[in-house]
Formats: sequence, structure tokens, C-alpha cells
Amino acid sequence: MKVSRSWLQRYFADPLPSVDALADALTFHAFEIESVEGDVLDVKVLPDRAGYALSNRGIAKELSAILSIPMQRDPLREVPVVLANTDQLQVTVDDRFVLRHVAVLVEGVSVGPSPVWLREALESVGQRSINNIVDATNFVMLDMGQPMHAFDADYIRQGAAIAKVDIRKAKSGESVTTLSGDTYQLGDDMYVISNGATGEALDIAGVKGGLHSGVQPTTKNIVLSVGTYDGELVRKTCQRLSVHTDASQRYQNRPSPELGAYGMRAIVTLITEIAGGALRGGVDIYTAPPLQREVSVTAEKVSRVLGAVYTDNDVEAVLTRLDLPFRRDGSMFIVTPPFERTDIVITEDLVEEVGRIIGYDRVIPALLPTGTPTKLPPYFSLIETIRDTAVAAGCIEVSTYAMGSSGDVALQKPLASDKKFLRSSLVEGHTMALETNAAHMPLYNLADLRLFEIGRVWCKGEEVAVLGISYWSPTKDHVKKRDAFFASIAAELSAVTGLVLQGVVEKNTWQVDLPYDPAVASMEAESLPESTLSPFKAFSSYPYALRDIAVWTPEGTDPTVVHALIQRIAGDILVRSDLHDVFTKDGRTSCMFKLVLQAFDRTLTDVELSTTMARITDALNAQTGFSVR
Amino acid sequence: MNTVQPHTTGRLHPLTDALRDVMRIFSKMGFEIADGPELETEWYNFSALNVPKNHPARDMQDTFWVAGSQEKLLRTHATSTTIRELEKMAKRGESTRRAINPGKVFRNEATDMTHEAQFYQFDGFAVGPDVSLATLKGTLLQFYKEYLGDGVEVRFRPSFFPFTEPSVEIDLWFAPPGKEGRWLEMMGAGMLHPNVLRNAGLDPETVQAFAFGPGLERVVMMKYGIPDLRYFHNGDIRFNYSVSKI
Repeated sequence: MKVSRSWLQRYFADPLPSVDALADALTFHAFEIESVEGDVLDVKVLPDRAGYALSNRGIAKELSAILSIPMQRDPLREVPVVLANTDQLQVTVDDRFVLRHVAVLVEGVSVGPSPVWLREALESVGQRSINNIVDATNFVMLDMGQPMHAFDADYIRQGAAIAKVDIRKAKSGESVTTLSGDTYQLGDDMYVISNGATGEALDIAGVKGGLHSGVQPTTKNIVLSVGTYDGELVRKTCQRLSVHTDASQRYQNRPSPELGAYGMRAIVTLITEIAGGALRGGVDIYTAPPLQREVSVTAEKVSRVLGAVYTDNDVEAVLTRLDLPFRRDGSMFIVTPPFERTDIVITEDLVEEVGRIIGYDRVIPALLPTGTPTKLPPYFSLIETIRDTAVAAGCIEVSTYAMGSSGDVALQKPLASDKKFLRSSLVEGHTMALETNAAHMPLYNLADLRLFEIGRVWCKGEEVAVLGISYWSPTKDHVKKRDAFFASIAAELSAVTGLVLQGVVEKNTWQVDLPYDPAVASMEAESLPESTLSPFKAFSSYPYALRDIAVWTPEGTDPTVVHALIQRIAGDILVRSDLHDVFTKDGRTSCMFKLVLQAFDRTLTDVELSTTMARITDALNAQTGFSVR
Repeated sequence: MNTVQPHTTGRLHPLTDALRDVMRIFSKMGFEIADGPELETEWYNFSALNVPKNHPARDMQDTFWVAGSQEKLLRTHATSTTIRELEKMAKRGESTRRAINPGKVFRNEATDMTHEAQFYQFDGFAVGPDVSLATLKGTLLQFYKEYLGDGVEVRFRPSFFPFTEPSVEIDLWFAPPGKEGRWLEMMGAGMLHPNVLRNAGLDPETVQAFAFGPGLERVVMMKYGIPDLRYFHNGDIRFNYSVSKI
């Protein structure tokens, strides 16, 4: 979530350190910072802490603990609102969905532009200012993490004396038009805030406010609605409707229903301050407050889990800095987490608090006791042996996509129309790989293509490990060569592994199932050959051109001399040259080179190619006794 | 200049080469090599790992679900093999073990230079009396020293994964040859959550375990200066040649 330094500053009397210092403090003690722009930090609050930290107050509380600077005020430590009853407002709820609902009636507000500080605060974190009432609800949500909504009370009352609100299951087919103007068809597993008198669905509860029931420029009286709803049900609604809002994000992370009363106090205070009006009282439906829990930890446990020494003083200091109330019982710290800290449930949660607030620099790398070198299990031993055998037979190992255009297992949300299924064999991937790579054969002077892959396929309800070897040669007797190659490598693999590997040929791929628990000897991991990889050399994605050049030279001329000349003239675009033919006749030696020409930044034109070849020819002919054939 | 000798040498996939190095290093440190299915159940990929149904924590990993199933999915991490291996331990009554689980994992996200729908992880874990965040840090530092050379450093940042508590992000200080060093985000890790140990049939009161979840392509890209993750699984042999000495 986005927070600005100036917004956070509202919580502290002393000036906060720079934005960069705040970013560092949070990075190493609490949250990843996704970006820093000017005054604004984008803080990545993960689901564990989202119940309290998707709010400026939550981030301020963290900074207070990390930097050891006191907050000048903490709205969650003030007295929550206590409401006078009113007979002008009636709220009924479905308690399968509503954990708590606080609603008040405020009469006599003046809707208008927000004060400058409020507009600037919202705009600083990328929110648009709408009017003072709506802005106030957005401000309190971002400030404290409690979503809320303001309804036009007269729209609900429609002339009646009592505003009746009913939070109920949506009826199948019922629709709501939201503030953004979009109309959503609801299902009967969703919930709406509805007009208790007329039954009209006013908004999608926990997700988005309705267009008609919201605050209008002429609104005088409002119903403020501060609810806590079931996170799971809100989440399902969001997924079904593909709507995600600041409010629904917060509900999904299940903030404590206790927060509602504090949120109501804040919004009533702010609205009466900036929009006037008088609180007429309200209702607070809260049948099952969460039980207070205790979580204990010892310095010994912290030290054991983190692997560094932590003392009672360390634990006490961290709990104090985090404002976590505790009592001592011998070496035990018994913590009563404040209501908003829904993340503190087990001892290890407190271990983490101590570790992160003190900082993980305290944790010095230590080695585990020396272990016994392990052996590769049979399956790994088998596939490593197969790989070495295939490579020795001239095969190149590739990895192709596990998803393809056909198969037995379909995916729910495939990435592309040609990746709708889990592959049931390697044939599709390898057919494509042969096609793609056939074009690359001259780059490496390959007479034929031999590819292999070891991977999983899904066939007849099972995940099967398979070896696929594919072959292609650009010759008339391709099939004969292919079958001979498959026969020879199958024989060799069977001989090396001691297994009977009878594959099946489809198109140009030979495929065989591999056993997960083969009867092969376990290999020492230490005996695996060391990698022969070297730093990446970029390759061009532009087409290459092939040219042959043959030259007569004085007898005994070293072909490398000829090659050096060609290389000097051609320069960078000569990406490969192969000496193809050398013979001596009548006191002259002929060298024939096959050249591969390719540029990194363009397709070479015919003109460029013929100019280059002409320059090479001229340069060679200029040598005494040289004559290009 | 080359002389004509097609097919005197085939080539391994760069990940095979790299994984052999990884397996050798971890094997020397007493880590076994374990393997698990790529098409997983909801239980081993999520629920057993303390990722509840209908919880925002599930959004942390975009998942390929099998059509029409709420049970079957492509594993989003090799941690699913960790819990399978912990279960085996519990059944055998063991209380110490170390293993890495190299294998393919899947994320349902659009591909670009740094994102792929399929990639490799070598998730690892250690269970035992000396297992702590300090030995996690030491184990990873040792691995990176052997794999990338001296001069690397490891640091922790706080994080969250449902299956570890505490959870940390591992940053690595690495200077590629001829380049400035910098801190790079490498992986998530932490001490296995008591619920995970319990789900595997181990007693969190008596055993402690760490787990880590590195991507293989990422460290290979760093070590060899490979600019694009998409080279690894598109079946294009130019990639094999691009990181090959010969």
C-alpha cells in the first residue's frame, strides 16, 4: 500500500527521518518496499500482517517500534465510540456474513470540497478527491485500515421516520449498479446492504458502494456504515465478480471486528469537524467478540530458533517497543496481543517479532554438523547416466513446454490456446523443436539434428517420466537414418543402464517410459562431472546467409592463413566458417570454406552480402599465388 | 575456423549442468536428493503447507488448476516435495534429515525476460537439533561460496510465507566478473511452521526444521550472465551453444 511521509508524520511529534531512511527501516525490519517516489513509499504488506498494517497507523506503529520513536497518538489506544441509541435507525444483519456492524445517523452535514490537507493527503497516495464526506471515509480507511461507507439517509428513509438497513444474502439475479457505473449481477452466495423497508439492494457488501444510495451534492443527512464481514465470503464474491477494491482487500485479510468501533469514532469525529452535522446516535451489532488470547515465549526459545543469543532484556525491549502488553512468569513472557495484531497466534510469531525488530544481522551464519555425502537416488542416477550416454551419441538436451495443444489433462485457465493441456507425450514439443532448430543447423555445422529431453508427461491418469529422443536429417534417406539412429541409441542405453528400454517412434521422436524406482546402482553425487558452462555469448535473432568460397593457394599454404584473411575482411558478420575441403593438385592447394554470415542488429541485404563476398574475393586474389575459384 | 566434425559432441541442457553442480555441493553437506510429482494435490501444495483455502495467501502464487478440479494443480513450488519427504521421515520415526528437491514448478503468469510459466527450483530442508536460522544462513552462504566463489554474502530480510515462521527473504551480495557487486533477491526461506511439521506427522515440540526455496534459473542467469529466462524452456539449441565453452 502507498503511504506518504507527511501522512505518517501526523503520528509523530518529532520529525521523521528521510523517506530513504524510512524505506530502509521497513525493509530490514518489516516489509519489502516496492518503490519510493518523492514522499511516497509503496509498502508490500503481505497477508500475515495485512490485518493491521494495510493502514498508515499500522505502518507508523511499525516505524515507532523499529526506530524507537514514540507515537504522539494512537487511535487504537483511545477509547472506542460508545453510541447513544437512536430510534431513527434500524439495522438487521445476517450473522453468517456480518461479524460486526456499527451504523450511525448524522444529520445536517454540508457536502462540499474537502479541506486542503485532506485533499493533499489522499492525492499524495494516488486517490482522487470526491467530496468531504466520501474523502473522509477513504481517509479513515487508509489511515486505520477499517473500510466504511456513507449512505444518503434520505435515500434510505424515502420520507419515513426510520432508516432501515438490512444486510442480507443477495437474491439470485439481483443486480447492483456501483459508484463506478458498472452493474453487477449477483448470486445468492453474495451479500448486499439493502434498504430494510423497500428491499432495494444498495451496495455489494464489503466490496463496493452503490451509485444511487451514496452521498450526493445535495445530501444533508447520512448513515455511516462501518462493518466487519467474513473475509472468505468477501473473497469469493470478489473472485466471482472479478472486482477488487481497497475495502475488499482489507476484509479478505480479516481485520479484527474490534476495529469497527475505533473506525466509527474516527469517522464521526472527522465528518462533524469538516462537514458539520450532529450525531443522532446509532447501533452496534456485535454478537461474538473474539476471545482474548495469550501467547508466550522465552528468550531461550528465541535463541534456539534463531541460532543466536537473545536475553530476557532483548525480549522485553522488543515487546515494549512494539507496544505488546505482557507479564512475566519466571523466564516466560506471556503476551496478550492487542486486538489488531491478529497475526500473533503462536510462540514462533513472537520469535519472529524479536528477530526482525532487533534485526537479522544478529544471526551469524553457522554450519550444520558435517554430514555424510549422500548418494543420488536410483531415479536420478538413471537419468544422469542416460544424459551422458545421449550426449556421447551427439544429442543436444532441450527443455520444451509441459503444456501443449492436446492431452488427457485440461487446465482451468491456460496461458494460451496452444497450451490448453498437460502434454501426454514429448512428440508435440519435439516436433516443434526439430522444426525450429532445423533452421539453426548451419550455425553449428550440424549434418543432422539429435535432440533429447527427460521430462514428465500425463497419460491415462498417471504422471510418467519419459525420455524422448528426436532426430531429423535434411536428406532423402532421412527415415532410414532416423531408424538406424534410434536403434543404435536404444541398444546403447539398454546396455549402459541394464534396463530394457523399448521406445515407440511417433513422427520423428522416439519415446520411452522411465521407471521412478529403477533397479540401477546409486551414483555418488560427488562423481557427477563438473559443469562445463561458460559466460553467455549472445546470439543474433536475425537471419543468417550461407556462402561458400574456394581458393587456389600456393602448395602447402596453411588454411588458417586463408581463414584469417577472410575473417579480417568480413569482420563481425562472419559468425562461423568451416573448412570444408582441402586438396592439392598440380602444385596448388585448394581450400574451400563454408561461411555463415549474420548481423546482430539487422537482416543482411543481398547488396551487403555480395559486396562483402566481392571484397573477400579481391583480398584473396591480391595475395601472390592465390586465385579464387 | 572449424573443421568438419559434426556430432562429435552433444550438449547437456544448461540446467542439467548447473543442477549437477548444485547436487554435488549439497550432497557434500549431507543433503539427500528427493523427487516428487509435478501434478500435485491441493493438500501437498497448499493446505498441508498451512496455506488455507479461500485465503489471500493463495494469491501469492498464481496457480494452474486442472480444469473442473479443486484438488489437482501443477505444483507452484517444490516445497510440496518437502512435506512428502517429512511424512516419510515421520513414518520411519526419524528426527534428523537434510534434502533438496530439484524439479520443475509452474506459475500461471505471463512470460517475459524474468517470468516463465515453468521453471526449476531446488527447494531444500533440514530437520535436526542444530537447525536454526543461523544454520540456514550458514548453509546457504556455504552453497553460494562453492557455486559462485568467495566474496559472496548472505543477508536476511523479514518476509511471510504461510509454511515458515519466522520467514525471511534471502539476499545475496554478488559481483559478476568485471562488474560491480550488488544485493540480489534470491529466495524465500524460514523455519518450518509448527502446523507444517504437525501435518507431516512430526512433533514441533521436539523437532526444528528450516526450509528454503530457490529458483535454479535465477542463479544460473546470474552466474553466466544470461539475459532472458525464456531461453531455458523454448527448446532452442542456440541456448545450449550460447553458454558452452566449445
